[in-house]
Amino acid sequence: MPNAVGLAAKLSIFFMTHQPNFPFLAWGLTVVASAMAVHQLARAANPEPHPVRAAGVPIAAPTGFAPGPGEVAANLAPNTPPGEWTSQARDYANTRYSPLSAIDTSNVSRLRLAWSFADGSQNGHEAAPLVAGDTMYLVTPFPNLSYALDLASPGAPIKWSYAPNPAPTAIGKACCDTVNRGSAYVDGKLIYNLLDDHTVAVDAKTGKELWRTKMGDVTHGETMTMAPFVVGNLVYVGNSGGELGVGGWIAALDVQTGKEVWRAYSTGTDAQVKIGKDFHPFYSWMVGKDLGVKTWPAGMAKTGAGAVWAWISYDPELDLIYYGTSNPGPRVPAQRPGLNLWTSAIFARDAKTGMARWAYQFTPHDQWDYDGVNENILIDVTFDGKPRKALIHFDRNAFAYLMDRTTGEVLQASPFAYENWSSGIDLKTGMPKLIPEMEPKPNVKLSGVCPPDIGGKDWQPSAFSPRTGLVYAGIFNICMDVTDHPQSYIPGAPYDGMEMKRFAAPGGNWGEFMAWDPVAGRKAWSIKEKFMTMSGALATAGDVVFYGTVDGWFRAVNARNGKVLWSTKLGSGIVGQPMTYLGPDKRQYVAVYSGVGGAAMVSSSMPGFPPRGGTLYVFSIDGDSPHGGPSMLETVGAAPAAREDKGMGGKP
Amino acid sequence: MTASAGRTGLPRPWRDRPAVIGLAAMALGALHGCSRSQGGSTVRPDATDTTPQAAASAAMPAEVAIDSLPLGDLAGAAHDTRAQVIRNPFEGQPEAIAEGKSLFIRMNCAGCHGYEAKGGMGPNLTDSYWRYGGLPVSVYRSIHDGRPQGMPAWNPALPPADIWKIVAWLQTLGGTYPSGAEQASMQGDRAGDKVAPEAAATLAPGASGVPNGKSTGAVASPGEARPDAGGKP
Repeated sequence: MPNAVGLAAKLSIFFMTHQPNFPFLAWGLTVVASAMAVHQLARAANPEPHPVRAAGVPIAAPTGFAPGPGEVAANLAPNTPPGEWTSQARDYANTRYSPLSAIDTSNVSRLRLAWSFADGSQNGHEAAPLVAGDTMYLVTPFPNLSYALDLASPGAPIKWSYAPNPAPTAIGKACCDTVNRGSAYVDGKLIYNLLDDHTVAVDAKTGKELWRTKMGDVTHGETMTMAPFVVGNLVYVGNSGGELGVGGWIAALDVQTGKEVWRAYSTGTDAQVKIGKDFHPFYSWMVGKDLGVKTWPAGMAKTGAGAVWAWISYDPELDLIYYGTSNPGPRVPAQRPGLNLWTSAIFARDAKTGMARWAYQFTPHDQWDYDGVNENILIDVTFDGKPRKALIHFDRNAFAYLMDRTTGEVLQASPFAYENWSSGIDLKTGMPKLIPEMEPKPNVKLSGVCPPDIGGKDWQPSAFSPRTGLVYAGIFNICMDVTDHPQSYIPGAPYDGMEMKRFAAPGGNWGEFMAWDPVAGRKAWSIKEKFMTMSGALATAGDVVFYGTVDGWFRAVNARNGKVLWSTKLGSGIVGQPMTYLGPDKRQYVAVYSGVGGAAMVSSSMPGFPPRGGTLYVFSIDGDSPHGGPSMLETVGAAPAAREDKGMGGKP
Repeated sequence: MTASAGRTGLPRPWRDRPAVIGLAAMALGALHGCSRSQGGSTVRPDATDTTPQAAASAAMPAEVAIDSLPLGDLAGAAHDTRAQVIRNPFEGQPEAIAEGKSLFIRMNCAGCHGYEAKGGMGPNLTDSYWRYGGLPVSVYRSIHDGRPQGMPAWNPALPPADIWKIVAWLQTLGGTYPSGAEQASMQGDRAGDKVAPEAAATLAPGASGVPNGKSTGAVASPGEARPDAGGKP
């Protein structure tokens, strides 16, 4: 595979936001002081106020933000035809950047609905649709139906549908709604995970199941929600269940047969974790034999979680995959003294063998459920005058990590969201500096810990634009009161113990959408959102960035200055991932699932919180498409909905 | 012996009882168990001969009686297959209720249903929406047997007394129906409901107006209405 991707274009574009003549810098002179004041932090732990504005108002760079011109680039391989979107992040580097530019800052305000598709799902829709050729592929939350829609026919009718019928047991084993983060299209196959721990491959032409591999035991609390990630002939999958005392793992399956090639656990012996002689963590405290066992009380590593439930990236030149691991189990830290390796951490592994190359634990002995699973975007930067193969990672612990992806060195770590658990990351040791008062004790209520369990940002993936050099992310502004209740391990029941009440951090807004300068380590601009901002981000060559909110607003923003250019309200809240594609009619479309659920339900008591219900919305300029218009259009579909439903039987 | 049984002209001992609205009467009076029309034996569990204040061990309903309750009765069977009214021996006892709440947290129930039992991974247990029945004995059985959408079976991990104590705590949260309110729980009737004359004429006594009356069915925010992550029917 590295050979194939070696041909891919490598974009390397000046970090234009740093150009002194760029207009938004001029706006910096008129920063609204009140907006800054609103965001003043209650605790001294994080003394730097981030400039934040109300939606629609462009924001300037904060005072003192004046790095020299830098260069931030990304390898956009495999960059399949520019109009397609065949994996959740579109590329190995996880940029979620599209080279399409027909929709740009000048016309995006004319976006209108072209067509829509409701799938009857009542659970959180966290996936992006895929487009390959003339077909769009959708996967629903449990019961994990999939659909192929014919984009070349009026109304995009159903080409085929597939109902894998996962076990209903899985419903009650999924910690945070019965979500699914999407599929991968490869080699004429649609591959995705079922909530009941099966990975399936479906023939993309016919919808026939090609293989189905059982990966775990759902009755013991193990589920699968992440999107498979494909490199060459290997498809990588991982488990969920960090709240149910699973043993976390990532596995590589053969794309053609579904046969497991290797599996690496997140806790356990070096052999189980696939740590060998090539393993070289950058920091000495992660060096030693069998640390995946020794950093735990006796017997507890096995149920120590470190689930692998989110994103994987791949560097074709280094031939390494990167991914994060979940919180340790149980979530009550007093029960598991020690570092609890390798939970809340990132691994770099040999893509072919699975052997670990380096690792880094973002939150040692994680006491707040700050999983390390969030996406890692592979970017090439000039840092301190030196070119670095880097990655940018917005951890749930509210720090943005710029890391050297060859060595695992943390180049920079700065808070991107309100936090008070740490006064910073010591770059010499790689250790966070803890604030002792923010460490929970059993059966004692601890008030005002920020961020809460779901973090300064959760799994919702950010996007990178090589045209601006900025990373765009929906983030949170939330705190919690937490009481730890020590738990016993009971197979199939939560191994959890955190009683929480979550509330907005200073400022009162639950959400925020930001543009992050990965080299300077600070926000370029941001938009406050009253509700959680829990959708994926999409960046395009039209310099437009898209995101959605939990109350259902779908917005298009100028990538350079954060000006909101277009907003529309969808049927339910948005926790899905927007994507863009070129239709068979050569028009550019933007698509996003609406359908609130997942961790966004922590805010479900907010007045105005929308009802559930999964619907895909597809937009085009003026709503033009072959799927609507003055003529008499008719459905010419090849298949009915996946669940034949003659009454009320369609429920999970 | 359900309302439908009554309509078919079968013996209707349930109609001969005092209206179930008089729950206090039920609590005091020993209800005679009905002869089971299925399964052969007549079951008279100890529970029907005790008051809630009775010693816990002596008052424990026989497991065999609970096991013989078919789930089909949740929708109204052609024949009433309920053996008898089975009460929670710990109902209303403060110490048992406190112990039940503690068990709810210690045994990881809260991890799914939330620390206030308002739902999370699993359903809200404080509203009157019960997939498998909201009578104390129905809730007992759900805990004891487990349920197909992920609820583990707690038998034998939890002894019967502990399960009843958890139920006793849940009974204080307003969503359950009182023992004996089978009809109300099936028909969705709540305390204070007006009953149209037509409905009153067709229903068995006790068919309406008896639940605990703290239903959370109607709230301003739709999200709040069913905060459990499942949002399932």
